[in-house]
This record gives sequence, C-alpha cells and structure tokens, in this order.
Amino acid sequence: MTIGRLGVVMFLLFVIESTLVPWFIPTSLAGRLYPHFTLVFVLYAAMYGTRHKALMLGLLFGLLQDVVFYGSLLGLHTFAMGLIGYVTGLLLEKRKVTMMTALFTIAVCCMLYEIIIFAVYRVFWFTRESLAYAVVDHMLLSTFLQLGFALAVYVPARRWVQSAIPVRQPEKEEE
Amino acid sequence: MIGLILFIAVIGFSLRDRQLSAPEKFVNDSVAYVQQWLYKPAGYIAGFFEDIRNIRSLQEENEQLRTTAAAYARDKIKYNVIEKQNAQLEKDLKFTERQRKLNDYEYLIAQVVSVSSDPYNPTIKIDLGSENGIKENMAVVTVDGLIGIISKVSAFSSNVEPITSLDEKSPNSKSISVTVLGRENESFGIIATYDQENGRFEMSRIPENDPMIVGDTVITSGLGRVFPRGLVVGTVETTPQAGDFGLTKVASVKPLADFNRLTEVFVVKMSDYEGGTP
Repeated sequence: MTIGRLGVVMFLLFVIESTLVPWFIPTSLAGRLYPHFTLVFVLYAAMYGTRHKALMLGLLFGLLQDVVFYGSLLGLHTFAMGLIGYVTGLLLEKRKVTMMTALFTIAVCCMLYEIIIFAVYRVFWFTRESLAYAVVDHMLLSTFLQLGFALAVYVPARRWVQSAIPVRQPEKEEE
Repeated sequence: MIGLILFIAVIGFSLRDRQLSAPEKFVNDSVAYVQQWLYKPAGYIAGFFEDIRNIRSLQEENEQLRTTAAAYARDKIKYNVIEKQNAQLEKDLKFTERQRKLNDYEYLIAQVVSVSSDPYNPTIKIDLGSENGIKENMAVVTVDGLIGIISKVSAFSSNVEPITSLDEKSPNSKSISVTVLGRENESFGIIATYDQENGRFEMSRIPENDPMIVGDTVITSGLGRVFPRGLVVGTVETTPQAGDFGLTKVASVKPLADFNRLTEVFVVKMSDYEGGTP
C-alpha cells in the first residue's frame, strides 16, 4: 500500500459518503446523521503515520469537500480537517496508540470537527441554531456513526496507514 | 497562525457572489461523473425495498388516482377552451413578445448525483450544467413543489442550494416572493428564512389586511422575475400575526416537498431568462 493507494481509498470513501450513505440513513434520522469518513482516515494517518502526511491528507480532502459542494464558503473543511489532522499527529504521533485510545481520540476529534464547522457558520450567520441544540440534533449522533465506522475499518486502516506512511521509530510497529 | 489568516482570507474571498474558476469546474465535473455511478443504483435498491413495504397501500392509491385522473380529464377540456380564448385576447390587446413569453417555462429533467455531508451547507449536485443551459438562480422543483435554487454552475454539473438553508441574516441571503393559490392578486408574502429547529418556513411582509387563512397553499408569485409563477412551496400553518414593527404580519409555512432521498428533479428554465438576483 502506497500513499497514492491510500488516497484512492479515501477518494472512494468521499464518494461513498455523499452517494451511498444517504440512502442507508433511515428517514426518521435524515438531517441528523452526517458521515465524515475521510476525517476518520485522516485521524488514522495522524495516529499511525506522521503529522505532516495527516495534514496533507486533511487539506486535500477538505478542499475536495469544499470545492465539490461549494455553496457559500470555501476553505472551511480544508482548515478544519487540516488542523485536526495536524494537532492529533502532534500529540499522538510519538506515542503508542492502542485501539481504545484511537477510538476515544476519534470520538473527541469528530466532535471537535463538528464544533469548528458549526462555529464558523454561526460566526457568518449562516445558521441561527444554538450550540446546545446543534449538539443534540446532529453532532452526537454523527460522532457515533463515525465511531462505528472507525471500529469497522480499524484493522485494515491501521495496516494500510502503517505500510503507506513509514514511521522512523521501529519499536512502534507491533505492540 | 499563517494558516488561520489564510483561511479567513479564503473565506472572505469565497463569500462574494462569484463564478466558478476553471480548475473548480474541472474537479466538480469529474467528481460528479464518478458520483453518478453510485447514487442512482443505491436509490434503486433502496426504492425496491420501500416498494415492497408499500405494496399493500397500492390499491387504495390506485383508486384515488383514478378519481383525480377523471377530474383532470374534465378540466383539460375546460383548459383547452380557455387557453384558446386567452391567446385570442392577448392578440387583440397587442401583448408584446416579452409579455407573451412570461409564463412560458421549460422543465429540464436532472438526476441527482450526490448530497453534501455538511449539516449547514446541504448542497445537492445534479448532472446538468451550463452546457445544458443551466444558469445561476434557476428554480429547482420536484413533483411535490419547490426544493431549491441553482447556486453554482459547472460545465456538466451544478450545485443546488435547498430552500431549507435560506436565512434572512446570512451574507448571501435569497428570498422568494410568494402568494396564495386561488387568491394570487390579494395575498402576498416573502419567504426568506427556514427555521431548522421546527422545520418551517417563516413568511414575512404579509400586508395587514391579507385574507390568508390556515391551510392555504403557498405558491411562488413570479413577481421577482427570477422564479416562475405557480411553483408550490407549502401550506400556511399559523394565522398571520403581527411582526416586524407591527406594520406587516408573519406566518409559518409548512414545506410540502420532501428534501430527502431525491433522485429526479426538474430545473425550471424561463424562456426570456436574463439573470439577476431574486
């Protein structure tokens, strides 16, 4: 698995989250569940790869999301994904990350990502929802969706990232 | 820090009402090309299971449709006579070419290729673009009613902003002038805001002596010359109450169209379309 292949996998995920996933969300939950599968992969790249690669992937796929679904703002997802990828990498890159740590980090980061997105739209008055309402309405549910996805792809994602982005310290390979 | 400054600069830049540049169009079209192979089959599979579930209510629906079809057949005869009469009158009164074409709309069928996964920017992508004659600010409808406005156009795909993301206070707000079906000359209102928390439109600027009542069907009035006349938006849910300094009234409107799981939409093309903001 090279970094290019990882990119292709993430592009497929990006396509799937905007085409297939809306059909599998039950109608009663429509408008409350939003998939961000590429973000999960950016976080895996940050935890099991390097922070620079995570930043790069985050910026790339954030930009893709921004350009493809350009409504009124450009660069928001680029910023949010890049920032989260980089900061997660900065904090956890050098540590040994177990599965529980990884899932916990993903949950926190997904929440953070939703909050950044909400905050920017709120600042520019694109929405008038309150933060408390937004958290209950879609942020928590979406985070659980991301968590489920992260758990499902944990094993292959970790293997792919570790073979695509070689890390210098060899003692991190197996735990 | 530099990233933050750059980010704010980019957002400020993109807030303007701008056309897409060539690389953006290229990315848009190529991604839309990939997306269209996935969205529709998924829709068919999901639709198949839904059909199985709905099979029992089919007979009932069939009977209902038969009575409406009979009513339509009756109205059709009436309509033909009136249309002919109308054309004759327009000729007698020497209508200009522009006036005559005012209510001449063309419906372009478009397939939805994907839906954005951003809660505050629920953009829908469709597979028609500027090559098919799509322009910004055209209305997008389903059989149930108005669902959105074309916001960005590439060569072979375009982005639709659903009317559920309308907000009066947002920097690039749009508003729709509406009226009530059956009393087009007496009622007036403007829909510029969708309340996310209770799922209703806010209709404002209703005149003091408006005869609007609960249950009335709200349609576009076509007064802005951007939206065509007569697209269904929703039904009035509360009686108009005083708002905005007490001079005009506000009412809440329940949307009629379903904004989830869209597959086929229609873009309404006006024959003498010249652009402009609504």
